[in-house]
Amino acid sequence: MNISYNWLKDLIDIEMSADEVAAQLTRVGLAVEGIHPHGDDFVLDIDLTSNRSDCLSHLGIARELQVINNSKLIINNYDAPSPGDPNLVNILDANLCNRFTARIIRNVKIGPSPQWLVNRLEAIGERSINNVADITNYVMHELGQPMHSFDLDKLSGGRIVVRKATPGEKITTLDEVDRVLDETMLAICDAEKPVAIGGVMGGLDSSITDSTVSVLLEVAYFKRENIRATSRTLGLGTEASYRFERGVDIENLITASNRATELICELAGGKADDFVDVYPNKFVANQVASADISASVKRLTGLSFETGECVRILTALGITASDDRKTFSSPTWRHDIAIEEDLVEEVARHAGYENIANELPPAYGAGEYQKTEPRKKRLRENLADMGFDEAITYSFIDTRQDGVFENIPGLLNEKLEDKYITLQDSVIDGALRMRPSILPGLLDAVRLNLNFQRRDLKLFEIGKVFAAQTGEYELPNEREILTLVVIGGEISEGKAVTVRELDLYDAKGALEAALEAVGVSNADFTAAEAKHLRKGQTAAVLVEGSRVGYIGRLSDDIAAGYKFKQPVYVAEVDLQAILDMESTPIAYRPLSKYPAVTRDVSLLGDRNISFAATRQAVTEQNFELCRNVSFVDVYEGKGLQDNERSITIRLEYRSDERTLIEDEVEALHKQILSHLEQKLAIKPRF
Amino acid sequence: MSEERDRVQAILTEFQNEFAPYASLSLDGASLDNVESKLREVAELKVRHTGKKSPISGAMNLVGKVAPDERAGFGQFVQSAQKEIASKIDAVEKTLNEVIINAKIESERLDVTLPGRRPRTGHLHPITILRQKIEDIFVSMGYAIEDDREIETDHYNFDALNIPEGHPARESQDTFYTTQGFALRSQTSTVQIRAMERRGVPIRIIAPGKVFRRDTPDMTHVPMFHQIEGLCVDKGITMAHLKGTVTEWLKRLFGEDTITRFRPSYFPFTEPSAEFDFSCFKCHGSGKFEGDRCRPCKGSGWIELGGSGMVHPNVLKAVGVDPTVYSGFAFGFGLERMTALMYSIDDIRHMFENDVRFLEQFK
Ligand SMILES: [Zn+2]
Repeated sequence: MNISYNWLKDLIDIEMSADEVAAQLTRVGLAVEGIHPHGDDFVLDIDLTSNRSDCLSHLGIARELQVINNSKLIINNYDAPSPGDPNLVNILDANLCNRFTARIIRNVKIGPSPQWLVNRLEAIGERSINNVADITNYVMHELGQPMHSFDLDKLSGGRIVVRKATPGEKITTLDEVDRVLDETMLAICDAEKPVAIGGVMGGLDSSITDSTVSVLLEVAYFKRENIRATSRTLGLGTEASYRFERGVDIENLITASNRATELICELAGGKADDFVDVYPNKFVANQVASADISASVKRLTGLSFETGECVRILTALGITASDDRKTFSSPTWRHDIAIEEDLVEEVARHAGYENIANELPPAYGAGEYQKTEPRKKRLRENLADMGFDEAITYSFIDTRQDGVFENIPGLLNEKLEDKYITLQDSVIDGALRMRPSILPGLLDAVRLNLNFQRRDLKLFEIGKVFAAQTGEYELPNEREILTLVVIGGEISEGKAVTVRELDLYDAKGALEAALEAVGVSNADFTAAEAKHLRKGQTAAVLVEGSRVGYIGRLSDDIAAGYKFKQPVYVAEVDLQAILDMESTPIAYRPLSKYPAVTRDVSLLGDRNISFAATRQAVTEQNFELCRNVSFVDVYEGKGLQDNERSITIRLEYRSDERTLIEDEVEALHKQILSHLEQKLAIKPRF
Repeated sequence: MSEERDRVQAILTEFQNEFAPYASLSLDGASLDNVESKLREVAELKVRHTGKKSPISGAMNLVGKVAPDERAGFGQFVQSAQKEIASKIDAVEKTLNEVIINAKIESERLDVTLPGRRPRTGHLHPITILRQKIEDIFVSMGYAIEDDREIETDHYNFDALNIPEGHPARESQDTFYTTQGFALRSQTSTVQIRAMERRGVPIRIIAPGKVFRRDTPDMTHVPMFHQIEGLCVDKGITMAHLKGTVTEWLKRLFGEDTITRFRPSYFPFTEPSAEFDFSCFKCHGSGKFEGDRCRPCKGSGWIELGGSGMVHPNVLKAVGVDPTVYSGFAFGFGLERMTALMYSIDDIRHMFENDVRFLEQFK
């Protein structure tokens, strides 16, 4: 909000410079963001907090300076004019319109404003229209009270009726927009029809024009919540509605009306006539109890202030104390003083926050991280050590991604008609869906990096995904997941070219290491299908027998959609489920004293016989002396049939009690190989 | 005896003749092969002139033929001849070997400035790095880290935080809503409520997390960002504790000379309320850096960081805590803004684009 330094000086006797005023206002919580010279004036740009509607005028700011500077306000408090014809104003809804004053001014000559008025308005960024409009605007910025002037001759019956609008009732407002009202809105009407939307905007037909001679000046007070609701329903916010919804001073209406009347008579040649003030229920200001204001200030701020000093500050702010100084009455211009803590803040901000000490609270117990944080920290560091950069993408994604990706198992409730969480609206085109997968976000990041010639990427993100719960009123399901994306070649630090192309086993290795970092060393990977992954290059990830996610190569369809020319490997797992599991305890085995014998064997067979099946066929025989089956290599291609491959495995034989002899190993080895041949039709290639 | 001496002298002369080509070997520019073949020749020479069957070894047999009183002198003469032969050959062998070793060292010399062989190291997101640093500080100060839901009911996002229906903060249209009418939390203060419900009071927590506001992305706005919220409720907690705590963690993050400034403000969930600034980490409050206007603080010497205040009694009441017995402070600030200031990042949207050129700068 803009405040003119010269204008302030009209209202209060101060000897501070504009800079000093700015510093003092900022100190008490009216943050001055800038000081701009304007002719011989300075304009202060004040960033007001939403509770201080009383400071939306020069008078309000002057009141704060009055406390800071111990000086007096120089303003006219006008007496109430003698009442005129009571039939001029009729309030039918005293709940929504708490007070309404009307003043008739005759023989007005509409014309340009004098230069001083134009300058004042210009200083605070307002445009001059005509003398009467400028005066109402001027008084609003001076005293904080919005007002509206009607052309009396255009009011049917020459009178005002304040009532709720009837549903569908129409009015064309000053901005030349046809508006339809409803029964929640307050209409200012003449004898027949709405002529203004109460507290929001006047009607076009009854507005002041160059030919206006008689003015009806409305200065009123409306229920704050109702103005806000009307303004929002109509999508129409005005300087008036802004002030009314935050609260103006109901006891300042007469002064404001008289001030405007005085100026209209002076600058537009008018003659003041009838005045009516309809004020059905006198406003009762908040009464705030405080048994010991000094003790409360001490309790909340640590500041030691005598009761007398507290009362001095409060009184200067217009907050009056009862004789016993245990009850405080809020002034009618303050709508934010309701409880004792509010009084404490008033004392503290004028006493100065800089005078509050810096102390640490008394010692307390030990601090703690979230239970899963140490493991998540290891996970992040582990992935970073393996070359992954951590991404954070938006939690809302485009609805076009619906159903494209297989989500982590158990996230979506397929029985629901609406499985997803959807936003009512978004600030990014199309991004209405709360993500059920992090993949769309990470793939967008891959696309962006490819656009900048970064083709070798490993990215990961840890974050929440969202899905609807069964019950309509149940809060959505939120699960924390881990997503990896791998594309391009293996980068060696400091080397311009990549070492080799990455493949599925790089993604798998990273995921295995990541799982191990959070305490899971026994994850299983089984061939599976997932709709976003290429058939035959997809695995389900299982931990302790339950599926926690998928890993594989992004399907050609999706890859083409992103214009990816290289293969992309992705993995997404339910991190929360994994972190909830007990980590595998360490089972120590004594070190053997006897040497192991290893045999490597290349087994030729159908290329669909997996390593896991091969290993399983060995271990299921339960030979105590066969201690381990490990992978050496696979070979396909030249010399083999298309459907064949050769897999080389290493078998390890060892006893805990003795050194094995050659014949015994050979016999066992043969037995194992013959079982493999019988069961899987794979046999030694050489 | 002179006959025997002459014999020995003749053996010596023969050796010297044979050895002559090696006595003044010039190896400048000789190839490794050449040097190695010379070494082999010398080895042969050595066998012939120092072995048991060498002439000089045979000369020892002549001792018996010398008169007894001259035998000792003759023996010494033969031994010195033997030594002379052996030492001459050894010296040449040593020279040749050194030349060979040096040549090998030279041929296997490595460029130690070539990059070490190591896989590229990845990088944590700057938000994670800052969050972890701040968490470490607060855990050491006795705080527990908490987080909770990102999609909330109006109760947790507004009502319990003393933002009733009709309140400007609630109607500001800043909040994202789901079609079911749930709110994406617009501040991590929701965790204050959840945590006090779970843990009761006294409580000291820090709640880092994502929050959402309906801001169209531009250089200084993003619709999703991260906040850290602090809450301390106990008997006898005052604003002095708020100031002390905020000052202390900022000192631990930015250095002992950091100072803070609190300005009166307004937040629905605190009363009294304050915004807090801290002395610029770059110019240390002077407003000037290397003679120019300091960038992070725009020359003011202060960095505006966040909001704070004494927990509003209605917030305490919402979780069943008696505000006449307990009091507390809360504070909150945004991590993106802080990160942007710390590294002079001009466009806050970079935080969520995940451009590797951006991410890899945070080591
Ligand atoms: Zn600075």
